[in-house]
Order: sequence, then C-alpha cells, then structure tokens
Amino acid sequence: MFRSLKLPPILGSLICSALVLAACSGPSAPQQRPENASENNGFLNIYSARHYDSDQEIYDAFEEKTGIRVRARESGAAQLLETMKAEGDASPADVILASDAGTLWRFEDAGLTQEVHSQVLDAAIPAHLRDPDGHWFGLAKRYRTIVYDKSAVDPGEVDEFMDLATDRFDDNICARSSSNIYNLSLMSEIIERYGSEAAADWAEGVVGNFAIDPAGGDTDQIRAVAAGACQVALANHYYWVRLATSGASSDREAANATALSFASAGDGAHVNVTAGAVAAHAPNREHAVAFLEFLASPEGQAMLVSQTKEYPVVAGVPLPEGLMEIPDDLKQSDLSLDVLGRNQVEAQQIYDRAGWP
Amino acid sequence: MTPATPSFSLPGWAGRLPLALITLVLAVPVLTAGLSGLLAGGGETWHHILTTELWSTTLTTLGMLALTGGLILAIAIPAAWLVTMYSFPGRAVFEWLLILPLAAPGYVLAIAYYDLLNISGPVQGALRDVTGWGARDYWFPDITSLPGLCFVLAVALYPYVYLTARSAFTTTSICAIDAARTLGARPFAVLWRVALPGARPAIVAGLTLALMEAAADYGAAGFLNVRTLTVGLFRAWSSYGDAAAAARMALILLAIALTLQWVEKLQRGGAGVQATSKRWQSLDRPALSPLKGWLAAVFCALVFALGFGVPILRLVWIAVETGDHGRNFTGALTTSLLLASAGAAVAFIVGITIALTARRKGWLSWMAKAAASGGYAVPGAVLALGGIVALNTLGLNLAGGLALVVLIWIYAARFTAAGAQPMEAALARAPRSMGDAARALGAAPAIRVWKIDLPVALSGALVAALILFVEILKELPATLMLRPANWDTLAVRAFAYASDERLAAAALPCLLSTGAGLLPVILLSWRLSKARPGS
Repeated sequence: MFRSLKLPPILGSLICSALVLAACSGPSAPQQRPENASENNGFLNIYSARHYDSDQEIYDAFEEKTGIRVRARESGAAQLLETMKAEGDASPADVILASDAGTLWRFEDAGLTQEVHSQVLDAAIPAHLRDPDGHWFGLAKRYRTIVYDKSAVDPGEVDEFMDLATDRFDDNICARSSSNIYNLSLMSEIIERYGSEAAADWAEGVVGNFAIDPAGGDTDQIRAVAAGACQVALANHYYWVRLATSGASSDREAANATALSFASAGDGAHVNVTAGAVAAHAPNREHAVAFLEFLASPEGQAMLVSQTKEYPVVAGVPLPEGLMEIPDDLKQSDLSLDVLGRNQVEAQQIYDRAGWP
Repeated sequence: MTPATPSFSLPGWAGRLPLALITLVLAVPVLTAGLSGLLAGGGETWHHILTTELWSTTLTTLGMLALTGGLILAIAIPAAWLVTMYSFPGRAVFEWLLILPLAAPGYVLAIAYYDLLNISGPVQGALRDVTGWGARDYWFPDITSLPGLCFVLAVALYPYVYLTARSAFTTTSICAIDAARTLGARPFAVLWRVALPGARPAIVAGLTLALMEAAADYGAAGFLNVRTLTVGLFRAWSSYGDAAAAARMALILLAIALTLQWVEKLQRGGAGVQATSKRWQSLDRPALSPLKGWLAAVFCALVFALGFGVPILRLVWIAVETGDHGRNFTGALTTSLLLASAGAAVAFIVGITIALTARRKGWLSWMAKAAASGGYAVPGAVLALGGIVALNTLGLNLAGGLALVVLIWIYAARFTAAGAQPMEAALARAPRSMGDAARALGAAPAIRVWKIDLPVALSGALVAALILFVEILKELPATLMLRPANWDTLAVRAFAYASDERLAAAALPCLLSTGAGLLPVILLSWRLSKARPGS
C-alpha cells in the first residue's frame, strides 16, 4: 500500500520552506529597485506623514502639469523616520511631508534632509515659517486654539493658554493625550516663552483642572464641550471648522455651541505648519524642488488646504470654503519653528511628570 | 497517559536543519530589535521611562492580561459549552455567528465603542435627553479605562478560546461525558469535573494566543488611551524619537510571552488526558427547558452583538450619516487580499513544519516555538524595526521589491504561532497508539509522518490557514512601515482616516476589511461544524 518511491510531501514542504526562508533572510534576495531607479528621471517619490485624500489630487495635478510620475508612501512620522534611516543613501525618497514642524526638525536632525535654496520658496514663504538653512519649508498653517462653551465662557477669559491653569477652569478642561504631537508642540513653545519651570507649573495646573481623563482626538474634545462635560478644550482650529461644515447635523450643532480663541502661547497665537523638505539622498532632486515650489504656488496652496482647512502660507491665496478669516489685529507667534522639534523631548517629560496621560 | 513518544525521527541533520532555519528566521526580527535596543545604551529617555512609567505600564499590562483573560473565559467557555452540548432556539446559527468577531480587528471595535459610549456619543446623549440630566450629573462607565480596554479586547479575542474549547468539547471527551451523564451527574458537574479537565489543554492554548495578541495590541489600547507597555513603547518611539528605548520595552513583552508559553506547556504536560475510545459518534444534545433555552439564546445573542453586531452597525451608521467616504478602495482591497494570501502561505508552511516537529522533545523544537510565540506577543512595528536593522547589518537597504520580501518575512515572524497552534492541537488529538502501532508494524519514520501525522495535522490546516489569512488582513503597524509606495492596504487607509479624526471615512475601509475577513471566517466555521469525526 505504501507508495514509498514518492518523496514524502513533508520533505517537499520542508525544502520549500527552507527555500522561502532563505529567500526571506536576505542575502540571496534580488536587490531590485525597478520602480525607483535613479536613472529614470520621470519619477518623484514622496514620503508623507500626512494622510489626506486631497494629497492624492495634488499629486495628480503635479503629474498632469509636469509629466513627472508621483509615488507616495504614507506612514506615521516616527516609523517613516526609521524606514528612511534604514534605507540610507539608497532611499528612493525625494520629498518628505509632515503635518508638524517638529517632525521635520527630527528628519533634519537625523541628517535625512538637505539644504534647498530656491528664490521661489524664499519669496513665497515668510521667514519664520521655514528653516533658515532651507532644510524644510512651511506650506500651510494650523493654529492650536482654545475651544470654549459660548454660553459659559467669556472670550476674554481664554485669550492666553496660561489662563487654563487658573482656578477659573477647575474641573472644566478637556484635552487629548499629551503624547499627541500638537500638544507637544504647544508645550515646546510654552517652554521657550516662559521657561521650563513655569511650563511645568502650567502643565500641573491644567492637569488639576481636567474635567475628564484625556482620551480621543481633538474633535472629541470639542464635542465634549458642546455636550457640557467641560467648558474649554484644546483643539486645532480645523477640527472645529470641519465640524462646522460637516454633513451631520449633530456635528454642526457641536460647532454652533462653541467658539474658537486663537490664544497666545506667550507672544501671539501658537502656529504650526504642514511642511515639506527635500530628502538628503533624493534621487530626483530637481523634481523635489519643483514639487515644493508647486505647493507654494497659488494653485498648489489652494489644493493643499481645500480639504484640511488649514491656512495658506502664501499671501493672497483665497481661504478654503468654510474657513474663517484671521482677525487682522491678531498677534501671531513668530517663533522659529525648529524650536518645536528641539523642545519636544522635554515637553513630553514635563507632561509625564505632571501626570497628563 | 503514556508520555509522548517521538513519532518523527529523520536523521539528525535533516530533521534539525529546517527547524534551525525556521527558529533563526522567526527569532531574528525580535532579537535584533531587542539587542540593538540593549546595545544602544540607556540614554536620558530610558532613564526617564525607567523612573516614571516602566513599572506602572508593566503592572497595567499584567492587570490587563488578567482581566481580559478572565472575561474571555467567562464569555467563551459557556458559549462553547452551550452550542456543543445542548439544543436551544437558534443554536445552529449561533454556532457559527459566534466566530464572526474574529473578522473584526480590535482597533475597529475600539473606535466603534468609543464613538458610541464617550460623553458626547449617542448613548450618553440619549440618556441625557431622556432624563434631562446634564453631562456631569451622573456616573457612566468609562470606555477609556483599563476595564473598558479589557472589555473591548475580550469581545474581540474570545473566538480563539471559543474555537479551541468547542472542538475540544466535541472531540475529546464524548465517552466520558456520556458515562458521567449515565451515572447521573448534574450538568454543571459534567462541565466542571469531566469536560473542562479534558478540554483544559486546548482552552489554555487558545487563551495563550489571545493574551499574546492582547499584549501586543496597540490599536485599541492607544485609541482608548490606556498606558500598557505597548502604548508606552510607541510613546517612547514617537514622542521621544527613541527607537532603542522602544526596543528595550519590547523585551519585557517578550518575557511575558515566554512566560505564557511556559505556563501553557507546564499545564499541558501535567494532565494529558488521552482519549482512548474509538467510539466516534454524534452527540445527543438534550433540549434545554424553554426558559433555559431562551436564556441560552439570549446569552449567545448578547455575545455576538457585543463582539460584532453593535460595533459593525455603528460603523455602517457613521459611514451613511455623514457621507464622507474617502477615495476609492478597490486598490487597497486588492493589496490587502494579495498581502494576506502571500503572508498566510509563508506563515502556514513555517507553522506546519513547527507543528509536525513539535512532538519531538528537544531544545530546538522548543526554541522554534518560543521564537514563534515571541513574535506573536511583540507589536508588528518592533518586528519591522528589527527586520530593518537586520537588513542593514547585512548591508542591504529596504527598497523596492526587497521591502515586500521583508514585509512577508515579518508577517511570518509575527503570526506563525497563530497558525502552528491549531495544527498542533489537531495532532495532539490523534491517539498516540496509532503511531506506536505503525512503528510496531515496522513503518519507517518518514512513512509514519506521511501516513499518520500529516493527514492528522492537515485536519487543523484549514483552520490554521484561515486564521493566518484573517490575522494578516487585520495587521497594521508592520505594513505601515514596510510596504513599498502605492501598496496601501485597507487597514492602512483606515488608520490614515482615523488618525485624521475622520471616522466616517475610516468606517468604510474598516467595514471592507471586516467583510474580506468574513468569508474565510464563515468557511472556517463551516469546516469546524463538519469536524466531528465519524459524523
């Protein structure tokens, strides 16, 4: 009965698995980069820590305009950084995009960006919104704001972030986790403006005023204010704008019950940017610069902010639908944004010690 | 009750080489990550983590595992016992409905439950509307807490134990159960004194898998903001930019995994109840009294609703309500199916090799299993980091096609344990006497494997393959790090929308991913209901 001449499949499967594993273990695997070969000048590779559908439309528009084919890789910023480090000088990345200046500073710090000198970019983008050496360029502005319950809070009570640490807001603050990049960047500016000790006191004061434990995203904090769980919350401006322009009536009601204060973080409203950089080993450097210049053009700017509801950095570009004008007399922080990256570790440590989850 | 006799004895090198290779390949990512973390030296970040949070995150993780484990047992064992042993209204439907939560990723359940139950969500909103209370006038259970996380993980992961318990109840102890019933034992005594001891190895094996998965979870714990080790690990990485500190924290997860595996082995070795009867027959399912029958039906319906019905319906509702649908997902669906198939195939081959050699007593077999378990309890992102570091050590760069190879490799390192387990369980059910008889009849070792072990292992193979496919379909962090440009999966798209706080847009890829996992899970369920030998 035993057909013993036939090779038992167990052996076959063992050999097969050995082969697969040998292939997986590296050395014998073909080292091919067909899609990203540098001799092919028709490509642009974008590494993005942004996650917007409208970005795809921007890539399409750029392709259409220049005939350069765009390939995008989206990931979390920290993971993108490790991936790029691992790829080393063979990295196919040309452009790095991130929705936070501190993140770009980290890429710069790791030697993953290069200097770019472009008259177009320098002319279009205000100096404090780009790196002095041209390692990265701010492309759209986002404000960290205080969202407040219109029926319970007077706008004058929330024109500074420092106000949040006072007894006035005891048991009245909602905020998300401290490891969120927007909270870290806010703390980075507060450290710079007031010093570490005052920043630590502020964090403790705010933690003492929490109405509920931090959880969820900025949108959830705004909804919590609207529901009456707290009177004020920290949120980026565009989350409120998206609720105000949402298709769901409950979202619009939440926006209606609340208002935004472009609060000062020490010397003007706290500004952060969506920013772009040219990768240190960009195989298609010219394409990368051209892409950043496209994003700084009126057309690129309009596409960049249409869905995100950020503010354009280039003067004269119309605001996306639903976004309110910034008051002319609003003092805006002109902090050099690399500070957001430099202070980030200390910011997290201060939050940790204050017990901000 | 006889101790395990090796039924598989190829010549030394031929038996050991594949296993050694497998051990190496499975262990490389986790060990490289851990070692590079240790070698990088403890900087300021590590000191900060050590002094402020390492102890508390470790305790939180252990507490989470204990509570989640308890909840899983409390859900899975009664459910499995009821659908196996009794007939009651809807039993045949519940038998497979109860497996469906396997298709829904834990982070999807976390998103849905948070949206439903948070202070501005529809449940509390309705409560305030009905009662006229203000938002601060009442107490409501907080989903963003340790118990909340344990609830979400338990309803997401109980199918692992439900599956193993159900097949153990069906196959191992029928005669004993019949005997106990004949002797007049009350139903609870039958469960407690006869069925559970027989099924215990299988139940603990399933629970071990579920707990390793829970330990590695980032999606649910991160979303609900519960500071487990894995959440702390990601914070060290993203807030402090310290991948080395993250890798060190992964070593604690590894230690937890090895302890779980050791406990599992210990309890299995102690009480191997061998089914010796060849009397395979279909089980008489006594009908429950109408009241008890309906209670059983309500219990099963509740479990299904919590693990699948409620969260999935909520996602459908969100997707429909706002009409924010994001871009077209056909490409992402194809990529998901492609990667899950490729990853499952490789992990399957590795898993079956481990299962077939697992009965050999020996350090190599133990090492291979340990390597697989280690990978299963460590977040995919850490394994991906290890893979990248290993690649760099070899002087290679993660680029183009190689990125795909590395991704499949990491899938195998991460999920092989989930595939090896069902096949091992199938092997364990084969009476040892069969192999002994073959040996007595003079069958060569390779022939015994071919004629006895392999067919028996294959009865668990479909289960293994389907579980692997569904697991990889749900995988996020490693895919996020390693996939080449334009290789977005559904999980990646869902993550992108969720991190931009666009739940409505995230709902659709979540639902598609669950849907893609549903077919294999239904197949799995059907296969299992046919699995009763002799019927």
